[in-house]
Amino acid sequence: MTLFHFFNCAILTFGPHAVYYSATPLSEYDTLGTSVKAAVVYLATALVKLVCLATFLQVSETEVFDPYQMTKYGFQSQEALKAMIGFIDVAGLYFALAQLTHRNISQNHKFQAVGLGWAFADSVLHRLAPLWVGARGLEFTWDYVLQGLEANANLVFTISLAALGSLMWLRKNKPKTLIPIIYTCAVIIATMPSITSYLRRVMGWHFPKVVGFELMTSLVMAFISCQLFILCQRPSL
Amino acid sequence: MAEEKNSKQRHHRSMFLESMYPVVALMLVLVACVELCDAATVVDVYRLIQYDISGAPFGSRFSSLNHHAASLSFQHGADLSRSVLILPLRELDIAFVQDYISQKQSLGGLLILLPQTFRPGNIGGGETQGLRILLAQLEKLLLRSNIPFPVYFAFENEETDTMLADVKKNDALGQQATATTGGYKLVISVSEPRKIASPTITNIQGWLPGSRADGDSNQLSTIAVVASYDTFGAAPALSVGSDSNGSGVVALLEVARLFSTLYSNPKTRGRYNLLFALTSGGPYNYEGTQKWLKSLDQRMRESIDYAICLNSVGSWDNELLVHVSKPPENAYIKQIFEGFSNVAEDLGFQVSLKHKKINISNSRVAWEHEQFSRLRVTAATVSELLTPPELLESAGSLSDTRQHVNEDSIIKGVKLVAESLARHIYGHQGKDIQIFADNSSLAVNRFYVKSWLDGLSQTPRVAPFLSKNEPLIMALKKELEDYTAEVSIQQESLDGIFTFYDSTKASLNIYQVASVTFDLLLLLVLGSYLIMLFSFLVITTRGLDDLISIFRRPPSRKMKIA
Repeated sequence: MTLFHFFNCAILTFGPHAVYYSATPLSEYDTLGTSVKAAVVYLATALVKLVCLATFLQVSETEVFDPYQMTKYGFQSQEALKAMIGFIDVAGLYFALAQLTHRNISQNHKFQAVGLGWAFADSVLHRLAPLWVGARGLEFTWDYVLQGLEANANLVFTISLAALGSLMWLRKNKPKTLIPIIYTCAVIIATMPSITSYLRRVMGWHFPKVVGFELMTSLVMAFISCQLFILCQRPSL
Repeated sequence: MAEEKNSKQRHHRSMFLESMYPVVALMLVLVACVELCDAATVVDVYRLIQYDISGAPFGSRFSSLNHHAASLSFQHGADLSRSVLILPLRELDIAFVQDYISQKQSLGGLLILLPQTFRPGNIGGGETQGLRILLAQLEKLLLRSNIPFPVYFAFENEETDTMLADVKKNDALGQQATATTGGYKLVISVSEPRKIASPTITNIQGWLPGSRADGDSNQLSTIAVVASYDTFGAAPALSVGSDSNGSGVVALLEVARLFSTLYSNPKTRGRYNLLFALTSGGPYNYEGTQKWLKSLDQRMRESIDYAICLNSVGSWDNELLVHVSKPPENAYIKQIFEGFSNVAEDLGFQVSLKHKKINISNSRVAWEHEQFSRLRVTAATVSELLTPPELLESAGSLSDTRQHVNEDSIIKGVKLVAESLARHIYGHQGKDIQIFADNSSLAVNRFYVKSWLDGLSQTPRVAPFLSKNEPLIMALKKELEDYTAEVSIQQESLDGIFTFYDSTKASLNIYQVASVTFDLLLLLVLGSYLIMLFSFLVITTRGLDDLISIFRRPPSRKMKIA
């Protein structure tokens, strides 16, 4: 029953995106175009990131998490470099949110559509190929189910990040006290990949533990960003 | 104008779609070609030999395997026809296997796990005698039966141990591993075995000419030293036959080396020619030796004074046997045996003479010297075996490994043969002279013996599976070329009553599979998760009323139509 397993993992990985689109008012306002544009921007961002990683990163022989490895550029830390390259993601999201012209859709729906398209492209690019090659084999592993759960967490993260991004760049009048919170949350979400790789290599956490951590933090972050969004909705006094 | 534009647009679109078809088809083909071969565990396995004697089938008749794993702890009466039984040698019960085979019960396959010490090239010792005897019994049983399912041998390692422990646990709980209960799946995907069309046997002979005195017009006599180098066992890819007959081959090579040193100097060249022969086809009634003898020139054959055949000289302590087929009262036999006993006395062990008459009507040739005797050449076999081996036995079985061969025994055997030959050649019979004394330039080289023995103990040598230019044959030929003047190779095809089938080695893929119920359960869980997610999102973004209205829409439509 190998195709069966592939089907199961596929609906776990890509189902929530479709459900999100159809359940929320996004489908009523026909925001598919926005999501597609966000997906294309994600593709371009991924290519730029790849080029930067290939140019600047020194690949060590062993899988050692050494933030202070001596490179030919001096005491530049490898992991900090990776995190900086991760911020290209944020730049891409900014481009998708702020610079692209969308049809008249409210800010509320814009960030959701952009986040959805972004997360869907991310899932397809990162997870479809391993799923197709691996989950169809006879051998059974939990890896693909965990990967699907990770895709779910990623969806929540991306939508939260898009929400915070829209708060940061699209809303001009924000309560002063909330600005630092918004920025810290955005930084935390943007550096999630570095945090997970740190957990996996230095702390030696196994995949299930890491996925559980991701799910929990995604729920927490979603709650926080939801509250922030609601607070910013109220007209500032 | 507008219509033209429309039709043009449609034409472009259809052309575009048509040009997409080959791309789509190619992508589908590429995607389907992705190999599904990512097993967690891959183990080398070796198949039981499959052969026919005069058309009667023996051995395992199938090679491919695709079944679930089962162990001995299965419930009584369980149906194993779709399972592979995994039997570790340590827990083997010969009676059980015998019952299974004789009652022709159907079984998906049999996988026998051998301890690592039986692996060729593994020197680590400490294997108990009990296991060796058990393995020999098992081999005998398997070789003589016609088994309608695949039988494979594998060596124990951590992965097979964990798999076996898991399978035993599952079986003990009463869950027979099938498609619906998960477990382990063993897959060996090889093509069905085919007959080996004309298996070749290769004989290698080396000729060391003696020196003729001036004015001597008679043809020099020849003494032959012969050993058969090929093996036969239950698993042809594992039949290294360290004792039978690796020890004989090593002894022959060392004797050749010693005499080539002597004969290289014209002053010490003897008045006899020496003929060294490495024959093949030993287990099959010494067919190779017969063909080699028949191919020899008649004059050459008549010039052979006598031949010494070496068979299993690697694990004896105090007594070596000389087997003959001519009666012991024969003058030549007496001479040969006296030569041996004198040397043996000096070296401190015993030789005994054993006489076995040849039965012309019986086609079974138990000793190599019998092929010589049938062509009226005097010959004897030096061996540690007491009784003549049965057909296809004592020819390099799985339990015949390097650890149980002692180089000292081989060295003693070499000294015996070399000294007695030398005393005969140089006319020093009965004298107390040691030509190949230790610590002399003609001493037996222990390292040479050890290295050749180690090398042969890692080379399976079943004749039908050796190609014409097998590295082993080339190596033996090169070795004899170093020590003799002329080397020739004779290649014949192994006809007669034996037929062999290929496919001796394969890779076993072990997959850990989940059951169908697990997949169904997962589907149920995921379905309910997605439905919950949907409801949650609808409720939070559009309100509870909208959720209810989604489920109420069809009835209202029906009401409208009605």
